[in-house]
Amino acid sequence: MKKITIPKVIIYIVLTIIAVLYVAPLVWIVLVSFKTNAEVFSNPFGLPKVWQLGNYIFAWTKGKLGIALWNSVFVCVFTLAVSLLLGAMAAFGIARMRFKLSGATLTYFMIGMMVPVHCVLIPLFVMFSKMKITTPLFEIRFTNSLIGIIIPYITFALPMTIFILVGFFRSMPGELFEAACIDGCSIYKIFFSIALPLSKTGIFVTGMMSFVNTWNELLVSMVFISDPEKKTLPVTLTYFVGPYATNYVQMFAAIVIAVIPTIVVYSIFSNQIVEGLTAGAVKG
Amino acid sequence: MKSKALSILLSVSMVAAALTGCSVSTDTGETTPSTDGAGTETGTDTTGSTENKTETTDTSTASADEEEITWVFWDDLEASTDQMTQLYAQTVERFNAEDNGYHVNVITTNLEEYDSKVNALIAAGDTPDLLICNPGPNADVYVDAGVVQPLNQYLDADPEWRDSFAGGMFDRVTYGSDIYGIPTNFAAACCFYNTEMFEAAGISEVPSDMEGFLDACAKLKEAGYTPLTCSASTAWCLSMIAGYCMNREGVDTEALNAGTAHWTDENCVKGVEDLVAISKFFQDTYLGDSNDDATAHFYNEEAAILIQGSWCIAQMNGNSATIEDKCGVFSFPSVDGSIGDMIVKTDNVLMSATTEHPEACVAFLKMLTDETAQKATAEQAGKIPVTKVEVDTSKAPKQFGYVSDLLANLTGTIGFYNESLVSVEAGDTFDNNMVSIVMGDETIEEGLQNIEDFYKENAWQ
Amino acid sequence: MNKALRDKKAILFFILPAALLFTLVLFGPILYAGYISLCDWNALSKPKFIGLKNFKALFTKDDVFLTSLKNSIFFMIFSLVTQQIIGLILAAILSGLRYGKNVYKNIIYLPCVLSSAALGLLFSFILKPNMGLNQLLAIFGIQGPNWLMSVNGYIPLTMWVIGVVALWIYVGTTMMLYMAGIAGIDKSLLEAAYIDGAGKTKTFWHVTLPLLKPMARTTISLTCIGSLKFFDLVYNMTQGGPNNKTQTMATWLYFEGFSYFKYGYASAISIVLLIMCLLVTFIINRCISVKDFEN
Repeated sequence: MKKITIPKVIIYIVLTIIAVLYVAPLVWIVLVSFKTNAEVFSNPFGLPKVWQLGNYIFAWTKGKLGIALWNSVFVCVFTLAVSLLLGAMAAFGIARMRFKLSGATLTYFMIGMMVPVHCVLIPLFVMFSKMKITTPLFEIRFTNSLIGIIIPYITFALPMTIFILVGFFRSMPGELFEAACIDGCSIYKIFFSIALPLSKTGIFVTGMMSFVNTWNELLVSMVFISDPEKKTLPVTLTYFVGPYATNYVQMFAAIVIAVIPTIVVYSIFSNQIVEGLTAGAVKG
Repeated sequence: MKSKALSILLSVSMVAAALTGCSVSTDTGETTPSTDGAGTETGTDTTGSTENKTETTDTSTASADEEEITWVFWDDLEASTDQMTQLYAQTVERFNAEDNGYHVNVITTNLEEYDSKVNALIAAGDTPDLLICNPGPNADVYVDAGVVQPLNQYLDADPEWRDSFAGGMFDRVTYGSDIYGIPTNFAAACCFYNTEMFEAAGISEVPSDMEGFLDACAKLKEAGYTPLTCSASTAWCLSMIAGYCMNREGVDTEALNAGTAHWTDENCVKGVEDLVAISKFFQDTYLGDSNDDATAHFYNEEAAILIQGSWCIAQMNGNSATIEDKCGVFSFPSVDGSIGDMIVKTDNVLMSATTEHPEACVAFLKMLTDETAQKATAEQAGKIPVTKVEVDTSKAPKQFGYVSDLLANLTGTIGFYNESLVSVEAGDTFDNNMVSIVMGDETIEEGLQNIEDFYKENAWQ
Repeated sequence: MNKALRDKKAILFFILPAALLFTLVLFGPILYAGYISLCDWNALSKPKFIGLKNFKALFTKDDVFLTSLKNSIFFMIFSLVTQQIIGLILAAILSGLRYGKNVYKNIIYLPCVLSSAALGLLFSFILKPNMGLNQLLAIFGIQGPNWLMSVNGYIPLTMWVIGVVALWIYVGTTMMLYMAGIAGIDKSLLEAAYIDGAGKTKTFWHVTLPLLKPMARTTISLTCIGSLKFFDLVYNMTQGGPNNKTQTMATWLYFEGFSYFKYGYASAISIVLLIMCLLVTFIINRCISVKDFEN
């Protein structure tokens, strides 16, 4: 045990101040969600006079948050699983395989990060509305269905996943792979049983970023989905913004409800990252 | 860790609540008025709202033999607390319950993403059968592109329906001789004022001319009140007053749009000068306040006058128990005290040019404008009916009665400025420059010159 | 080893699925947007080819676009400088902490997992003239400015405010990536430096920092591209106002396309944005050369 030194104390004080700066606004959201709309304007920063649990009940039932929550979870799980797998594969290919166009391939994927979603929205929608897979048993439509937003979400997530993971794969020591190769591992096995587990930290970070982006994505979901039973969480949050007035309290209640799963997911994975970080540190 | 932190926060705030002796309410704000002790929360109880709350919108699919039509709408029918939206929801329900062989599916969005959604549907060839639309440049786009169809034949086929509309209702949706939209309700922009504050400031009569208006504002200020509440960060709120000022100085938007008048003309300058004079009486925070803030200043009785569309009636009464009895309404003053035009805004439903079920669409349009719906428009939502129905004013919010009295004496109406100019962008250019002028970022001449330049570049070619 | 790494089949196996999906779903529409940028199109009728007119109009007639260009570049530089410095410092400090490392890390990363639209709304409340921050300042007798409606100066105060809020939100990502980078550094290198008598600061400066170069390239690229595309916060806090003084390229593109039905023009803005991003990426790659790690 080291002694407590003054610089250390200062560091902790500064960090605590920063932490307060981060937590205070979020506490405010929670407080507002327990107020009435009139109170938001007359007493925006105090404690609610009466704790309006009704806001939550209203948001949950009227906003159909239950079904929206389920849809969002479904969409996110699919998007994350597929985009992380495909992204990691492509990143490994770009970072580790030797071919002339590896740099160009990375740039090609990165173009996807550089264009705002607004400019591809309408072409994408037109394309998807014309696509249909018809089989004797069932028919898959790409608009007004969850599949129709999962595919764009996966694709939107790919560029960043690839970009970040390329960095991780490149920073892995090459001896590791060489040794495996000498042991007779195929390149596929090297990827799945050595590279992939080792990039846990990177996968966590990109996974978290993709999750947040997907979880909060509004525009594509709003335009692609018309059926109220298939709407995702961010869309239902907009229910409380009316044409002439905004129902702030219930919207904030819905926001709080929407944030909770994010925090749960984060807490679960944040244990993973602690392990990932130490594992990385030990192996070096 | 995070969840721990949050749960700690939550419990801390809960404990704090317990310590400060706060009570907890599970009132969802749905059934009004509330009965909680603190009395912070009471709502309007416009008649009929209780029964509509218990109903749920029927989103079930149509039975096999029913003709299905789709309608795109800019608010959520179920979660919205907007009275007008709730009324639409009731009409949809009524339509689907009726044994007419039709079924309407409502695609809901929010206002912000509404255009994106509609345009995407149209671009993909899935034009909805019906769409709700503001009049003016927004509708122009759909009419010009041939996306929507004229409704004359359907109106002419049913003279009773056609004649049920009040005079002039189709003016703003008529192109040449073709009527392209069915208005469902309209709102008028008026001055809402706090009668108590007016009395306390010694103002016995509501002002009818600009001089009197500014006088009254000065008196209110002397008496220690904030005379006017307005929002500049929601630009159209300010530009609504600007539109009134311009109109009162004799500015004609049609002449401006046609290029026969100019933004740099003297009457435009005068109009903006009036606006600047009025803006001196705004609340201190008007620059940063949003529309909702500005309205809240009025119903929380911090400001004496609110110039706003009549849709705010439901919002005010819904958030304050006391404002309905204290709130009076008068017309925006004119220069010489005569009765000037009133700014009005209609909601309109347009019909797709490619719809396969025109009869079903027309049946729905008729239901939106039938007696039940139109009566409820007034009595429940406090908006103004488009047809000549008898409204039981005792059931409607008090302010509605005042507004209809004003309308009864009306000589003419004009549209919102941002809906009367050549394009949506022109409307925004007007709004933005008015804000810049009022906040002192531009002089009156510079601001008007900017609009003039925009028109030269985009409109007068 | 080399042979395995040059296996064409394996390369295709790894890259093809992602490449196919990306090309079909994203690159196709991007190409289409590129074509649309040469057209006059309102999304309702057929596009009309007008050549480079949109681009010409952007740079010669559209003052708002030039403002948005200036604002976007400001955001990029501001975010780059602040997020890199603060993110790196936080990462360095937190990595060395014995207690509470995860608590602080998680709290600072928290806004990154929240919807930036909700956060924009939150801050538009906090920064209202009579609320939050100004109430707090009033306690100390300071009359706070109108944070979101100040337009004076080349870079208006409002832009700085939005920049600081962006820093508050996104510094967590930079910090997180740097922490991951620091954790990946071979501890024996650091120990060797200590044995050689280097202090903590010196070790950080001479050993850790150079080893973080690849991560720096990643975070700098992410920050630059992210801030050039900046949309949510501006849209939710100011809507580009007052009088378009706080428009960024992404918000202006949105207004032109979705409010004014000028999709061709909006696409032209997005192409300019794309070119700028490519340019920035190119410059970053040139300036921060990362040597092959195998050596």
